[in-house]
Amino acid sequence: MIDTSTQPTGQATEAIDPSGTSRRRRGRRAKFTEEVPRHLRAHLTAYLMITPMVVLLGIFVVWPLVYAFYLSFFEMSFYKDAEFVGFDFYKYVLTDPEFYESLLVGLKLALMVVPTILVLALLLASFLATLSKRMAAFMKTTVYVPAVVSSVVAAIIFVFIYQDEGFANWFIGLFGQGPLAWLNTASTALPAVAVPAIWLGFGVSTLIMLAGILDIPESYFESARLDGANFWQRTRYITIPSLRNVILFLLVSGLTLTIQEFQLPLVMTNGGPVNATNTPNLYIFNSFRDATPYATSYSLTAALLLFIVIGTISLVIFRVVSSEKSSDA
Amino acid sequence: MRQRRLRIVAAAAVAALIALAGCSSNSGTSGSSGGSGGPAEITFWQSQFEPYQQKWFKTYVDKFNASQTDVKVKYQVVPGDTWQQKLKAAQAAGTQPDVATTNYGGIPAGVANGQFAELDGLLPDKAWSDIKSNVGGFVQVGGKHYAYPMLVEPSTVLYYRTDLVKAAGLDPNAPPKTWDELLTWAEKLTKGKVKGMTIASVAPDLGWSSWGLQYNACGHLPINDDWSAANAKDPCYTKLFEFYQTLFQKGWIPQQPKVGYPDATPYGQGQVAMMANGSWAVGQLKQTFPAMIKNTAVAPFPSIDGDPSKPTATLGGWTLTVDAKSKHKEAAAKFIEYLLAGDPAIMADFFRQSGFSKYTVRTSVDQALAKDPAATSDPFMKVITDKVVATGKAEPAYPFDISLAFATAIESVMKGKSDIPAATQKASDAIDRVIKQQRLKGTAPKG
Repeated sequence: MIDTSTQPTGQATEAIDPSGTSRRRRGRRAKFTEEVPRHLRAHLTAYLMITPMVVLLGIFVVWPLVYAFYLSFFEMSFYKDAEFVGFDFYKYVLTDPEFYESLLVGLKLALMVVPTILVLALLLASFLATLSKRMAAFMKTTVYVPAVVSSVVAAIIFVFIYQDEGFANWFIGLFGQGPLAWLNTASTALPAVAVPAIWLGFGVSTLIMLAGILDIPESYFESARLDGANFWQRTRYITIPSLRNVILFLLVSGLTLTIQEFQLPLVMTNGGPVNATNTPNLYIFNSFRDATPYATSYSLTAALLLFIVIGTISLVIFRVVSSEKSSDA
Repeated sequence: MRQRRLRIVAAAAVAALIALAGCSSNSGTSGSSGGSGGPAEITFWQSQFEPYQQKWFKTYVDKFNASQTDVKVKYQVVPGDTWQQKLKAAQAAGTQPDVATTNYGGIPAGVANGQFAELDGLLPDKAWSDIKSNVGGFVQVGGKHYAYPMLVEPSTVLYYRTDLVKAAGLDPNAPPKTWDELLTWAEKLTKGKVKGMTIASVAPDLGWSSWGLQYNACGHLPINDDWSAANAKDPCYTKLFEFYQTLFQKGWIPQQPKVGYPDATPYGQGQVAMMANGSWAVGQLKQTFPAMIKNTAVAPFPSIDGDPSKPTATLGGWTLTVDAKSKHKEAAAKFIEYLLAGDPAIMADFFRQSGFSKYTVRTSVDQALAKDPAATSDPFMKVITDKVVATGKAEPAYPFDISLAFATAIESVMKGKSDIPAATQKASDAIDRVIKQQRLKGTAPKG
């Protein structure tokens, strides 16, 4: 970092400034350097550079969040004075079985989607790392394509796939099974929603995983090969430990995003059948759609509690799978 | 350095002010004036309905704006699935519409929230006396009017394909009268890829489309009349649950419906032989599937025991309300008077456009339509008016959460997720919770 207090420009100016202004300025600067702790002076430029973002985050994230917590103690109305109700809405949300059911649906969906994506991405990234440059470029583009498809479009495509006469029923028909009402049967609806979630998510995960694999020094693999390690041993003892931080990132971001999945169940099932795909965000969204002041305050409080739940899950994961510096660092 | 710091602080403050200005731009009071001496400008939000309705509204908003210089209506169509979010955002920002479409069921809750302006002093007495007696109560709370009604439409009517019925050896002139007979028809009409019938099978649709059948089964809804406790475990509901369960589990209705209950497309496309749907489906069939009309007959939806005097449908419908915070309530009322309460020819034109799939709420409009041969000769209108609307009940005014709890119980039983006692117990608990948390006890509208 640049310590601005030691820059020589002040002396140069003094030489051509007979008025003494620079001396006064230097005097002020000297006073400043005495007043401000050294570690703050050292990082001043950094603080200045992050100030705009901190201000914007403060305005658009921190303040709304604080204000939302404040509002959650009131039953809000846009036509009457808000009524202070204390923790009533927290009690309502926390005693509502549907809130817990929705959390469970979110967790189940995350458990179906995230590990599948991680395994597929690891396998595919390991495979891509072995390809020639041209082939790898083609494959990387192919793998990434689903990531640029709108999830609404993907949801509609998969609704067609799951129709009575759709591809899914045609496929299981080849084995003498079905047809199944994929999206209208409690046991199949959530896995049916998980499939497009995996399809949409695994492209980005693969590329991140590939970047991680390419960062692992080739000498590790060469040594392992010389020692006679096969693919699975190399993956188990070199690739996965080296990708620890990448996997941690994908795990946390994947879990938090999947628990909050909203568009796919909204378009494909609207949370049904019998709330089998009613993810927390969809549950909150549907609570908000009611016209009453109760619904507004309830959904706000449910959203805050979801924020706490997801924050806690992330914290637990960080504790369990602690990140560490790369072995090369 | 201090100056530099001050400059940075000032820059941050300016950035914050710009951001805040961005947030607050557009906020203000509802309604605006076109300047001193100009017309009062009011906003009108219409929930999106069938395309012909948007055309009708647009035509008459333009005519109203052209007919006078005191009021200018800014008309906006809002899709139904984003209505609440958009309205709440506007209410929070103070930019809510002066006039909005509101369904009958939403009026009591809106009045309790102080959302609607009282209209008694804003519309002339003759406008109120023109409303049919069975509808007048739908727009009143505590003896005061808070909305002007536009139409009623029964939620549940039975449509059936006369050609398929004949082919199945059934008599198209003797439609089913009981739920058991309907199940028999559904079984006989299920052939190949054509299902016997279509009816709501997901909770959000069942929530409102089954109100009439809930009345039919038990004579009441799953809550006490004074909204003091749930009444969902009444054994008289058992047959209602079994009726839906049989239709779904026997595969006589589509197992994965592609559209919601109000959409007549599966029937129009020949995927089902019968359809439970609202009267509005007549309009959709006439306009989108005209070839299906000659082979279609309508009948009141069957009753649990064949008694035709029991209700099988609720009378839903739409009104126009004026926002309590509107700065131009008189101007808003003037627009409503022109559109809904004035020249009967305007509303008569609406019902003509609808293919007579919706029903009038004003005596003078009935009289205007009585002179119209297209209305009097309509094959569906007489059956629905005499046999469905006549026994229809008003939509319940309690929060939809209660309807959804009971509908979730029906769906659970249909799809085999729980048995009837477990499902009704869960619904009962959920309804009691809603009553307690939303403080509903004793708040049921009187009469």
